[in-house]
This record gives sequence, structure tokens and C-alpha cells, in this order.
Amino acid sequence: MRFVGRFAIAVLAVGVGIGAFAAAGPAVAQKRGGTLVQVTQPEPPTLGSYISTASPVGQVAAKVYDGLLEYGFDLKPIPSLAQSWTIADDGRTITFRLRPGVKFHDGRPFTSADVQFSVMEVLKKVHPRGINTFAEVTAVETPDPMTAVFRLAKPAPYIMSALSGYESPMLPKHIFEQGDIRTHQNANNPIGTGPFKFVEWRRGEFVRLDRNPDYWKPGLPYLDRVVVRFIGDTATRAAALEKGDAHVAGLGAVPYNDVKRLERLPNIQIETRGSEMLSPVVELMFNTRKAPFDNPKVRQAISYAIDRKFVIDNIWFGFGRPATGPISSNFAPTGLYSANVANYNVPDGVERANRLLDEAGFPRRADGTRFEIVHDITPYGEEWRRFGEYTQQALARIGIRATTRYEDVATWLKRTYTDYDFDMTSNWLFNLADPVLGVHRAVHSRFIRQGTVFVNGARWGDARADELMDLATVETDATRRAAQYAEVQKIVAEAAPLAWVLEVNFPTVIDRRFRDVIVSPLNIFTNFDRAWRE
Amino acid sequence: MKSGSLGGYVVRRLIQTVPVVLGVVIVNFLLLQLAPGDLATVLAGEAGGAPKEYIDQLRARFGHDQPVYIQLFNYLRNLIVLDLGYSFRQSAPVFDLLMQRLWPTLLLMVCTLVLSLGFGILMGLLAALWVRTWKDNAISVAAIIVYATPLFWVGLMLILVFSIRLDWFPTSGMEDVVAFHEGWARVADIAHHLVLPTLTLSLFYLALYARLMRASMLEQRGLDYVVTARAKGQSERRITTRHVFRNALLPVVTMAGVQTGGLIGGSVVVESIFAWPGLGQLAYQSLFARDYNLLLGIFFLSAVLVVVVNLIVDVVYVFLDPRIRIG
Repeated sequence: MRFVGRFAIAVLAVGVGIGAFAAAGPAVAQKRGGTLVQVTQPEPPTLGSYISTASPVGQVAAKVYDGLLEYGFDLKPIPSLAQSWTIADDGRTITFRLRPGVKFHDGRPFTSADVQFSVMEVLKKVHPRGINTFAEVTAVETPDPMTAVFRLAKPAPYIMSALSGYESPMLPKHIFEQGDIRTHQNANNPIGTGPFKFVEWRRGEFVRLDRNPDYWKPGLPYLDRVVVRFIGDTATRAAALEKGDAHVAGLGAVPYNDVKRLERLPNIQIETRGSEMLSPVVELMFNTRKAPFDNPKVRQAISYAIDRKFVIDNIWFGFGRPATGPISSNFAPTGLYSANVANYNVPDGVERANRLLDEAGFPRRADGTRFEIVHDITPYGEEWRRFGEYTQQALARIGIRATTRYEDVATWLKRTYTDYDFDMTSNWLFNLADPVLGVHRAVHSRFIRQGTVFVNGARWGDARADELMDLATVETDATRRAAQYAEVQKIVAEAAPLAWVLEVNFPTVIDRRFRDVIVSPLNIFTNFDRAWRE
Repeated sequence: MKSGSLGGYVVRRLIQTVPVVLGVVIVNFLLLQLAPGDLATVLAGEAGGAPKEYIDQLRARFGHDQPVYIQLFNYLRNLIVLDLGYSFRQSAPVFDLLMQRLWPTLLLMVCTLVLSLGFGILMGLLAALWVRTWKDNAISVAAIIVYATPLFWVGLMLILVFSIRLDWFPTSGMEDVVAFHEGWARVADIAHHLVLPTLTLSLFYLALYARLMRASMLEQRGLDYVVTARAKGQSERRITTRHVFRNALLPVVTMAGVQTGGLIGGSVVVESIFAWPGLGQLAYQSLFARDYNLLLGIFFLSAVLVVVVNLIVDVVYVFLDPRIRIG
């Protein structure tokens, strides 16, 4: 019962927290009304967040769909469509009590049948991450309309971190059960229980979402409307924010150098909270099956050679923290992060790197170089190019001559994850809500899967680390789970199949007239129900 | 020339376009097969990763698991009934997507054509009349500067000056998404949003047409028929408007016809800077997403557009120069 008890306390604490939040909020009262214009880049290909986890899709759809839970900055669950929950001692049954009186935007009530349908028929089958997240769920039982019981083959504690409206949207069964879910006509005409109703999507222009007057949170949302605009050009996006034509942009929609410029304007504020449940990490990925990167000393040497502070200050304009290992320090509140690993972020990194390369059998030749490689650059924009150029220089200091290569996204993905035709590439991996969801895929040997993107492209594996990760996947005791992950981090950091460089804190550019925009660790993958305009 | 023959000519030309458009489609289809990576990997990449089962599922759904010639055959078969296929990335039929984006592009194109042709011809005409005066020099220098300036820079500068500093025009978009005007207010709002993109796209072509018109005017003025007209005792004004001007227009019209294709390309830049919801942006996005169905649909539509515009240009010739016969 220890686990249940801890959750009950967490629920209670969060409840009190919300109360305190409301009372201790800004002295001015929240006002009703106003339109918030969010800029999202690029335009989402679809609004079906149950079938695509592309960032722009979630930025729009999370305003329409609720999840069973919400999350606080401490990553602990908060009641949402589920009022309360209990987890059985063996961790194989999770019972959710649903909130009564919740209605979908078409007026039909939300019940346990919708939960059952969403999880078993949609998320478990077609959601890119849901296939993994809900792999252990064998059934969702519906003893009554307000109770949903998850039956699990094995305990899966990470499920409790993956039930937000962004990650696991609750869909209306009566709409989505008809026809093929993969090409459903309501993908682009979403109907959920969220604070904003979908009105119109004009391609290439905007998505219009109007206030849901029947939202189940009394008095919310404050805003009349949220419009999500799509502006292809970087400079124009910044101009629209500067002029006040648009009010919120985040998750990389505005380049970091523009963020620094906008920050100085009187009508703009920059929020850096809101990456805690995404935990994006910038890293270098080595092709560990190919010389010279099959030698751990070479990988360690490069890990030592990168000056993380320089990269953070000059390329990411200060929006980040040094990364220490495979698990982001954002997991510190849950106890899963451990700093007790090989520390590559040291002042004498270059000397250590040179020593390691000498030991590895790559002495400097007459021209001062040891060997040559091609360094692939993640094709996600300017800061990645800068990072690639920096890496090239950092490697030159330890005698490695790197040629950089920048291709388009499709080509780069194929090269890295299908053809494995690379030496070393920069990479961008989100740790997500739990290591099982975001970390195992990069370092567990089960995830060496040719043709699947953003998995173990380094093709590195360690039997002991695999075993520990498998144990942690089903471990319901938080202390034991933390110990397992501490050892995983030690093993992986020592072997250095990747060089973890920085944990990015996404800056969100917000017009000062708008308040309470970022209120969750899910950044703007949230529903803006509490956002308001002065 | 009988009016019946003009109608017959247009019909004949339209029939001739069929193999042209078909050829364009086939060549594009085959060329796109050469690009590395496919839609399934891009979708999975955008999603930040996906299991192999999911990617295989996608490929089977897209029909990418079949041989290329079968994919091409299926595409052509559907094309006959104007079924351009389904964009899996955008979760919508390609035809609907194209129709949504067509009219903003046409609006921008027509406004640009009218503005750049109208003012270009006028500027060229004036420069030719004022040849080797300071006015001619001013027009010519201005035309060269505008011609040499990159489109994206002009666009950004116009936003900076007229939108951010002076606050006369909105930065981007096609209409006000806070107000959502209706009726005539909406028309006025769209016109307001249209000013800067049209101006940006027009400036380049305006300069081109002005230079072309000036050169063409000067060339025509030296020809024998002008001397003849003058000998007949016609006034200089009448010579310019009746004879020289009409003949000088021919190369400009030809150029305008050829450049409609380029206009769609140039509008990619302008549409992206001003967030104008046209075909150009759609083409750009679908290329990087390897959304071939959509991309082929766009190629098909622009091929049709270019063919139609060139047909119009050929018909316009007849009215400008009676010596040209059709058929």
C-alpha cells in the first residue's frame, strides 16, 4: 500500500497547492475575455494528436482534448478528467474515478467507455509513443460509467506520467469509433472536452479555437478565443511578436538570438519554465560500431573536449544547463536523476581528451592531426549549424579533423537511423515524462532498430544496463527504482555512447498583456485554461 | 480572321496540353523517387521517434511498399478523373488542399501582374520618351537597384518600416485573426493585408518590365515604319501610341507569359515572409516532408496554370499585332 499512500498524499498536496496558488496569485483579479494569438512553427500536418506526436500538433490539439491527468512543475499528477485513482499493491491494476458531468463539445457526456476506447482502440494501436506506453495494458474495464480500471500484464509505473491531454488525449468514442481511425475525418475537426472548441482551420493561415462555455472547470477558461497562427519566416515571426500581432511563441518557434533581442522590448517577457516534462537534451551521438568510435576512450575524449558552458552561453544564448548523463536533471524531484557519474564537464577537459586519445592508439601525426571524421549536423536550424561549427573547432583542438555535413531532415534521418552511414552526429532527444518513455530508447539495446528514428542509433548496449532498465520498467517502489536508474546512469555515462552536452530550457516569448500562460511542465502543450489578458 | 477559328484554335491548343501536362507529371514522379528518405520517416521524425511497427504500418498505408511502376500507374489512373490522391501528412484530399490554397495565390499573382505590368510599362514608356534626360536616368537607376535587391530583403524592410515603425500595415497573414471581420469589412481587411506582399513581389517584376519596355520602345522608334509614319505627316503623339507602343508591348507580354511560372516560384519567398496561405508555401513544406502526393498535385496545377497563361498570351498577341496569325 506504500505506493498508493504516497499517491494519495501527492493528490492531497497538489489539491492544497492549487488552492494556495489561486489565493497567492497576482493581486489583480483575472479578467474574462480577449483573444490570444499563439505562433506555432511549422504548421501542423494534422490535428489528430492521437496519431501524431509532432510538436505543432500537440501545441494546437492540447487546447481541445483533455487527459485523465494534469501535471505540476514537480512532475506529480493532478486530477483532471480523473478525479482520483488507486494503484493496486502489485502495480497491475489502476482504478480511475472519473469526473461526473463532463461533456464533449458536441454535448454528449464523457464516460469510462470513452477512456476504454481511447486507450485500447486508439492510443495503444496508432499513437507513435502510445504503442510503447500502453504495451502492458491488457484491458480497460468499465464497471460503471464513472470508473475505468486499467489491467496490466506487468506493472508500468510510467503510465501515470503519460496521461496528459497532450500525451494521451481522451477522445469521444461515439465519433471516432466509426470508420478507420488512421484516416478519420475528425482528425482535423477535433471534438474533445477541453476549454477551447475547434472552429476552423484555414490551411497556411491559422486554427481558430473558441471558448467552451460548458467547460467542466467552473469559471474557466478566461480567454474568449485562442488563434494559432503559422508564419513560415523566422524574422516575420519575431516582427509579429514585436508588434503585438501575435502573443505567445515557444518550443523553438523563435530562434534564441531573436529571443534575446525581444527580451529587451518593454511589451515582451520571456518565460524559461515549462520544459520539465519534455527535457530536451542536446547531444553528440557516436556510431559505436564503427572505428574509431567503437573505442570508448575516443568517445570519452570527445565528451571531455566539449566546453559545455561555452556552448550554452554562446550558441543557446544561456537557455540551458550542462547535461551530465543519459537522464535529465529535470528528474531530480522524482529521484530518478543521479549526478554520481563520470564527470566530463571539467576545466582540464582538453588535456584529458588528448591523453585518452594517445592511450587509445591515435597519436598525433606530423601535421598535428590524429584522424579524420565527418560530423553530421542535426538539420533543425541555425543554432545547430553553430553547434556543428563549434564542435569542429573543439575537435581540432584535440587533433581530430572533422568535416561538417548538413542535409535536410529526411536525408539525415535515413542516414542516421536506417543506413547508419555516419561517424558522429549531433542529436536532439527528449527525455519526456519518464525514463522508460524517453531514455531507454536511446541506450537500451532492445532499441537498436534499423529504420526507426530517434532510438538507439549509436547501436550501443550493455547487458547490465539493459537488465537494470528492464527491472526499473516494472519497479513500483520509487526508492528501488531510483537506485536502479542511478546504476544505469553510471554505466552509460562511463561508456559514453553519446556525449550529453546541454539540457535546453525552452524560452517562451509572451506578450506582457497575457498572464498565466506557462503553468505546467508541458510548456505550451497545455490548454491555456487559466491564461488571461489584462 | 474568323471568330470560329479562334475558338477552334483554343480547343486544339487545350488538347495539345494534355500530353505536355502528362509528361510533366511522369517526369516529376520519377524525379521524386530519387530523393532520399520518405514520408514515413519524416512523419516519425517529426513525432520525435516511433516504433518500427508504426513506420511499417504507415508505409503500407501510403502504398510505398509497392514497386514504383505500379505506384505511377495507379497515380495516372486516378489523375484521369482528377483524383489527385490523399495527403497522408495533411490528412486531407490533395484536391481540396489545392483549391483552398489556389485563390490566395491567384489573388497575389493577379494583383502582382496588374501592378508590375501596368507600372512597368508606364515607367518604361516614360523613360523612353524622356531618353537621356535626368528623369530617364532616375527611372533606370531605380529599376536596376530594385532589380538587384533580393526579394526577402525587400519584404523584411517593408515590414520593418511600414508595419513596425509606421504601423500602417499588419506584419503578416491574410486577415485579422483577432477581429475576424465579415462582409465588406473582410474584403477591406484582406486588401489591407495584401498591400505589402504585392508590393514586394511586384517591385522585382516592375523593374524588369520597365527596362524591357524602355529598350523595346527605343528599338521600335528607330525602325523604318516609324519614318514612314512620320513622312505621312502623323503627329509624334499618334506615332507613339498607335504604332510604337503596340509593337513595343510584344516582348513585354511574352516575358510576362514566360514568367508566370517563375511568379509561382518567387511567391514561395514572399508567401513565406508574409505568411500568405498560398500554393508556394504548400509546395515548400511538402517537399521537405516528402509528401509526394501533394507535391505532384502542386506540380500538376502549376503546369496547367502555365499552359493556360501561355495560351492567353498567344491570344493577346493577335490583338496586339494583326500580322500574327493563329492556327
